[in-house]
Amino acid sequence: MTSTQTTTPRPSPAADKGALVARTKRWGAFYQAEATLRSMRAYGGVILFSSTFQPIMYVLAMGLGLGVLVGAETDFSAYGAESYLMYIAPAILASTVAMTAGIEFTFPVMEGFKWRRKYYGAQATSLTPQQIALGHILGVSCRFAVHALIFTAVLFAFGALSSPTAVLMLFAAVLGGLAIGLPIMAYISTLRDEKGHAAIIQRFVIMPLFLFSGTFYPLTNLPQFLQVIGWISPIWHANELGRVVAFGQPTPLWLLLVHIGYLCTVVVIAWLAVRRVFIRRLGYDEWRGRVPGLKADKRRQSKQDARESAAGSYQRSEGVPLVNFRRGLGANYYSGNIRAVFTRGLSAIRNNRGIIFISGFLEPVLFLTSFGLGVSPMISGIEAEQAGLAGQDTISYAAFIAPALLAVSAMNGAVFDSTWNVFFKLKITKLYQTMMQTSLGPVDVAIGEICLALFRGGIYALGFLGVLMAAGLVSPLSAVLMWITAMFIALGFACIGMALTSFMKRFQQMDWMMMVLVPMFLFSATLFPIDVYPTGVQWVIQALPLWHGVELMRDIAFWNFSSLTLVHISYFLVMVIAGGTLAAYRMKALFLR
Amino acid sequence: MPITTALASSAPSETVSAAAIHAQDLVKKYGDFTAVDGISFSVTRGESFGLLGPNGAGKSTTMRMIAAVASRTSGQMLVAGLDPEQQGPEVRARLGVIPQQDNLDEELTVRENIIMYGRYFGLPRRYLLAKADELLTFAQLEHKANSRVEDLSGGMKRRLTIARALVNEPEVLLLDEPTTGLDPQARHVLWDRLFRLKESGTTLVLTTHHMDEAEQLCDRLVVVDHGTIMAEGSPAGLIREHSTREVLELRFGMDRNAEQAKTLEELLTNTGRDMARTDPYGSARVPDVAVPTGTGEVGFSHIEVLPDRLLVYAEQAEAAMEKIHAAGHRPMTSLVRRSSLEDVFLRLTGRSLID
Repeated sequence: MTSTQTTTPRPSPAADKGALVARTKRWGAFYQAEATLRSMRAYGGVILFSSTFQPIMYVLAMGLGLGVLVGAETDFSAYGAESYLMYIAPAILASTVAMTAGIEFTFPVMEGFKWRRKYYGAQATSLTPQQIALGHILGVSCRFAVHALIFTAVLFAFGALSSPTAVLMLFAAVLGGLAIGLPIMAYISTLRDEKGHAAIIQRFVIMPLFLFSGTFYPLTNLPQFLQVIGWISPIWHANELGRVVAFGQPTPLWLLLVHIGYLCTVVVIAWLAVRRVFIRRLGYDEWRGRVPGLKADKRRQSKQDARESAAGSYQRSEGVPLVNFRRGLGANYYSGNIRAVFTRGLSAIRNNRGIIFISGFLEPVLFLTSFGLGVSPMISGIEAEQAGLAGQDTISYAAFIAPALLAVSAMNGAVFDSTWNVFFKLKITKLYQTMMQTSLGPVDVAIGEICLALFRGGIYALGFLGVLMAAGLVSPLSAVLMWITAMFIALGFACIGMALTSFMKRFQQMDWMMMVLVPMFLFSATLFPIDVYPTGVQWVIQALPLWHGVELMRDIAFWNFSSLTLVHISYFLVMVIAGGTLAAYRMKALFLR
Repeated sequence: MPITTALASSAPSETVSAAAIHAQDLVKKYGDFTAVDGISFSVTRGESFGLLGPNGAGKSTTMRMIAAVASRTSGQMLVAGLDPEQQGPEVRARLGVIPQQDNLDEELTVRENIIMYGRYFGLPRRYLLAKADELLTFAQLEHKANSRVEDLSGGMKRRLTIARALVNEPEVLLLDEPTTGLDPQARHVLWDRLFRLKESGTTLVLTTHHMDEAEQLCDRLVVVDHGTIMAEGSPAGLIREHSTREVLELRFGMDRNAEQAKTLEELLTNTGRDMARTDPYGSARVPDVAVPTGTGEVGFSHIEVLPDRLLVYAEQAEAAMEKIHAAGHRPMTSLVRRSSLEDVFLRLTGRSLID
């Protein structure tokens, strides 16, 4: 047989194995970094948009909104800043980078080891485990740098920065991001499976560190024992470092060295830990990682086994008992078995670790503590419209934001449950597919899930209201009404959220939806009264649902009802009816796809 | 088992309602794409019915329409005399569905999975506690009752999915590729369980692209391709109708298969005359007496050319093999086997079933 293959004069680039090995040895980490960056491209639009949009949002909300209140009473020239906006700008950069670190060093790492096993693909090449780890870190650092550059440019455009040395904030922010991200990466990479760990880290580590790191006020505003959190937090050190380079905040040399030294030490130690774990998992050991909650599972299992063997076995079942069938109107959609869906949710909550459940109520408490204690010294009181009728001139800042935070947490919980959770069960765990195999109808599933979201939200609201009552911020009667209102607000958002989810096709679209929530939180007169804004902007804010929720809560908290209260209530009634109708109409599109 | 192809055009209405499943001119379109293009079939109670076809033939879509989770673009469908699109929950109450991918609830334990699933059907807890034990025994999962689902192996998960689908004692069990991705031992355990169900009178409807599975489990099957039915019958009947009894697989090396096919076809069709004289190579090494001569005995039908091998269809593949050897052709490898549904499919569509 004659060879028909044409022989090329040049040998294949893959021929010289020695050269390849040498090249990988030198550049391997960069190859992995390239892979990391390429996989970020799927989210490229979201990343660029958030990098541009976040600073603008914070400038408008915190710098200009809260700045009006704070600037009237507090002078920031002692810190070297011309305005409140300038004071918080570097800290917001460092904080947003830290938040991003909380995502980039958790989910993609889990994806690498478990969900898509990307790291095992790299392991099969001549890359070393430490190169794989370093590559991921380099890729993420690039994202931080791009984010910081865009952020800085926007801040310059708004006049929130004046000194050219402010560009150096980039290094402070990236260093801070790594100092908070690498320890998380080291921890996450020891896990065989992620069971809400990323959420726990977000809520128990990053959130407290962010809120008590002197981002929106000098750390010294807080009581001594809370300042300790700031000293430990890499975010505070990055904030302060950023302020020094951005507007020359007067800082003694030793403190400057402490900031840099602390961040570098954390980064180096955490890197060594990451390196060690990666070598264990991707090296010859092939360690598969810890299984969190294994002991608890075993304990529960043996307990259940023991209980069963004590009870003896069940008798043989005698045929299927007759099941009452709901016939008549809409029998194709609703089989009258919401309870089963709800019970399933409770079983799942019971089997999951309790800490995830508890963590939901932590966030509003942390916000209240941070802003109530930290911002209050800069503001003597709020002259809200409700204050006059309550028989006082002003109300305390903490009392002002507390009802708003309850409304926000009701919104967040409901939206999360009706969008992300529904989408996750639809696409990833296929739970709804399972349910739709049975005699359940889509309406059973939808209402069951909404009830579950309200049940969870109700418990969280109860916890938060307990804190408010203990702090003397609301009266018991108001608290009861506020609890009902929180459920009402949650129901409104859940109906709209579920209707919107029926139009979603990919996870990226969910990201965009989430991006609406943060500005809504920042602008809806939550942290400052609406009248800091010009009339035109006020109208826009008043059209948003959260503003109505916040105002409704305040009306109840300060026992100040007017015809506007009715408007707020009707707004949510419309949301429930319109969202519910649309969701019901889209029910088949949602669950039977 | 009576094999009834009761298509509604001629069948009286009692036959239609007596059928477990009756589908007439079923069409499903997704935008421009037609997944199912006018399928008609009917499944009698207690029958084991198979949908055979390659990936993307429209099997799973048909299953989803039976299971009352997908709407039809046009056509009629009755499951136990009910329209799945109008009476979804009531139809699903009579079905047990085993999807292609196990969709077990990972947040619940093994036993909770069965009980919870029963709750979705509205079954009382007291019944379910006993039933769950029974099903765990059936699935050989008693010792795993309180484990988490993620601790189970692939075969165990599959058995749990099947056990779970039986919790409402369904009249019809829908199995979408029941053993795909399982190792041979796990497959046989599963087949054994399914066979028992069949014996106890449950109607089975399964899709598969594994011939052996179809041959093991199906009384009757339809071959589906591009959303239409290509053939219908029992596994053995289909083979008899569309293929020869045996197949000879030959490999001559990648480039030579096609040219060899022509030579062999000539050789095997021209065997009416005495072989020793017509042999162009005059090979004398193979004694003529051992070779069964005459077309009747080789029973040559045709040759299929695949990229990597030739398939020679003959009633007596051994005889054809010896004839080819006698003619001096030396394939690199050769294999004689029985004809399977794979060959039926190849004959009907000109394509392989598993690509």
